[in-house]
Amino acid sequence: MRLMITAGIDVGSLSTDAVLMRDGETLSQIIINTGAMARSAAERAFGLALSAAGLRASDVDAVIATGYGRMSVSFADSQVTEISCHGRGSAWLSPKVRTVIDIGGQDSKAIRIDGKGNVVDFLMNDKCAAGTGRFLEVMAQRLELELAELGREDQQAARAAQISSMCTVFAESEVVSLIAQGVPRPEIVRGLHRSIAERTAGLANRLGLAPEVMMTGGVAKNPGVVRALSEKLGAKIILPPEPQIVGALGAALIAQQKHARQSV
Amino acid sequence: MMDVEGFMRHMLCDRQRWDRVLSSPLTYTLLGGVLRLTRGNWPLDAMYQMGVFAFNETGRAYVGKAPVVWSSAFFPVELAWGLGLCPFSPEVAAAYIATLGFGEETMSMGEQAGYSRDICSFHRCIAGAASAGNLPRPAALLASTHLCDGAPLLFQNLAALYGAPLLALDIPYNSSPEAVRYVAGQLEQLWLSLADVTGQRPDRDKLAEAVRCSERFRVQMQRVNELRCRVPSPVSGNDMLGFVYLFFVGQGSREAAEIAAGLAKEIERRVAGLGRSGQTGTQTEKYRLLWMHLKPYYNNELMKFVEQDGGVLAMEEFSHVYWTPLDPEQPFLSLARKTMSHFAFKPVTERIRVMAELARKYRVDGIVHFSHHGCRTASGGALMIKEALRDEGWPVLVLEGDCIDGRNEACGGMLTRMQAFLEILQERKLGCAL
Repeated sequence: MRLMITAGIDVGSLSTDAVLMRDGETLSQIIINTGAMARSAAERAFGLALSAAGLRASDVDAVIATGYGRMSVSFADSQVTEISCHGRGSAWLSPKVRTVIDIGGQDSKAIRIDGKGNVVDFLMNDKCAAGTGRFLEVMAQRLELELAELGREDQQAARAAQISSMCTVFAESEVVSLIAQGVPRPEIVRGLHRSIAERTAGLANRLGLAPEVMMTGGVAKNPGVVRALSEKLGAKIILPPEPQIVGALGAALIAQQKHARQSV
Repeated sequence: MMDVEGFMRHMLCDRQRWDRVLSSPLTYTLLGGVLRLTRGNWPLDAMYQMGVFAFNETGRAYVGKAPVVWSSAFFPVELAWGLGLCPFSPEVAAAYIATLGFGEETMSMGEQAGYSRDICSFHRCIAGAASAGNLPRPAALLASTHLCDGAPLLFQNLAALYGAPLLALDIPYNSSPEAVRYVAGQLEQLWLSLADVTGQRPDRDKLAEAVRCSERFRVQMQRVNELRCRVPSPVSGNDMLGFVYLFFVGQGSREAAEIAAGLAKEIERRVAGLGRSGQTGTQTEKYRLLWMHLKPYYNNELMKFVEQDGGVLAMEEFSHVYWTPLDPEQPFLSLARKTMSHFAFKPVTERIRVMAELARKYRVDGIVHFSHHGCRTASGGALMIKEALRDEGWPVLVLEGDCIDGRNEACGGMLTRMQAFLEILQERKLGCAL
C-alpha cells in the first residue's frame, strides 16, 4: 500500500514555509520570503519542497494551508489556523510540551495544548508590532545590524540597557537616545530582548504557563530573546531544530490525520 | 432585490450629503417603502415588523410631532412611552451609522469636538453626529448611572449642546429595600419632571398601560427564549441580536409587545415545522455558542464567518430576560426593581453565575465574550469570567474588538482567533482532527 504524502504550507507575514511528509517522516522543508504576493509565495514554496523531495504535485494526497495568508492558497484542500498547527507541530516534536510560545513576524501567541497537541486555550497579540519579529527588524535596522546578528551581539553585553517602552515607535526613540548617550550597542540589544521577553512573558502568564515550554517562530532563532524569556518565565525553553517550520509541520500532520480519517 | 441597507448606501453615495439624508424624515418614509418590498427576504417576519417600527419612530423623531427624548441604553424607557413621547436611542443610531459605513467620518467629528479615541466608540459616534446636527433635537435627555458610566457624562455634554435638561437616574450599587425605594422615588420625580419639560400631562393610567406593554414584552421574550433552547437552534442568534432595538427603545410600547408576540408565534410555527422553509432549526449548526456583549456593526466579516463555519449563537447575553414581572399598579417600584436587577450591575460573580446558567440551559459548546474596547463595565471582568467559566468546563474566547470603530482592528487577526476557537470546539465536540 502506498504511504500517504501530505503537505503543510504556512504563509506568514515574513516567510512562507512548506513541509512535505510521508507517514510521519519529513521529506523536505522549505523557507522562503513571502514578499508582496502571498499566493505566489505559497506556490513557489510548495514547488521547491516538491523538487527537494523529488515529487510531483499529483503525488501529494492532501495539502493544508495555515498562517495569515492561508486563504490565498488556492491549491490547498483546507485551511487551519496557525494556532492549531503550531500546537500540533510542537507536540509531535516533543510530546511533553504543554505551552507553545510562537513569536512570528507580525504577532505573538501563547498556546496551551494537551498531550495530543490539541489546543486547549490561546492568547494572541496582533494589535501592534511590540514583541514581534517586526519590532526586532526595526531595531536591527536602527542599530545597523542584520536580524541574524542580534543574538551574537547580545552575548557580548555586560548588562542590559533600560528600555521602558513596549511600543515600537517609542522604543526606537529610546534606542536613538541610548545611541546618542554612547551606550554600547550590545547593551542596547540585550535591553531590546528583555523588552520583548517582558511582553511575551505577560502574554504567557496571562494564559497560565504549563511546562514544558516550546518556542516556535522565527524569533526563536535569536538566542538573546530565548535566554531573556527563559529568565523572565523562570522556565526552560525547548527549541525545535527549525523553529520557523513548526506551523507548516503541524499543517502537514493535520492533513495526514484528516486524510486518513476520510479514507477510512 | 436591493436590501434596505443597500438602498441606504445607494442614497448616501454622495458622501457630502449623507448627513442631510440621514436626518430627513422623508428618508424613513422611503425606507419603509423599501422594507415593504423586501418583506419576504427577511429571515423572520418579526425583523421586518421591527424595521417598520424603527423607521416609523425615527421618522417621527425627525418630524418632531411628539417631543423627542433621548434615552441611554439601560434607562427604563417606559417612562417616556407612558407620556406619549418619542424615545430615541443614540446608541442604536450610532450602530446604524456604522452599519451604513459612516462610522469613521462621524467618529472623527466627535474626536474633533474633543472626545478622546480612548472612550467608547458609540459615544464618539453620537458626539460626532450631534455636533454636526444630524440627530433629532431632544426635548430632554434621560440617562442612568448604572452599567454604562460614560453615558451620563456624554449626555451631560449633549444636554448643554442642545440646551435641553438632563434627567439623570442615580442607581445605587445594592438592591436593599431602601435602595429600591430610593430609585422608585427618583423615577416618580423624574416622570413628573419629564412631563413638565415636555409639556405633557402626567397620566397614571397611561403610565400603567406602558408598564403593561412592557410586561407583555417581557413575557413574550421569555417565551421566545424558552423556544430557543431547542437543538438545533430555531433562529439565528445573529438575527436575534438585531432585536436589541426593542430592548433599548421599545419596552413600554404597544408595538414592541406585539412584535415580541409575533416573534414567539413565528418561532413556535418554525419549531413545529410549519415555517416558510419547513425546517425546524438551523441546518448548518455545528457549534452552539453563548455570545456575550454585542457585535461589530461596521463592515466586518466576523458574524458571517462564524455562521459559515457552523457556529450558531444559541443565546446572547443581551437577549436574556433577567427581570421579574412588572406590576402596572406599582409602576415606579416595578421599574426600579427591573432596572436595579441587571446581573452585570453586581459583583462579577453574578454575571458569571447567570452566564453559566444560560450556557447550561442552551447546551452551548463554547462562550464568546466580545470585548468592546470602550466598555469598561463589560470588558473589565472578562478574564475572571473566562477563568470561572473555563473551570466549569466551557471553552471561552475573549474576543477583543469594537462595535463601531473598525480603525483599530486587523480583521484577519479577529477571524484567526475566531477560527482557532471553533477549531478547539470541533476537536472537543467531534474528538477528531480539524
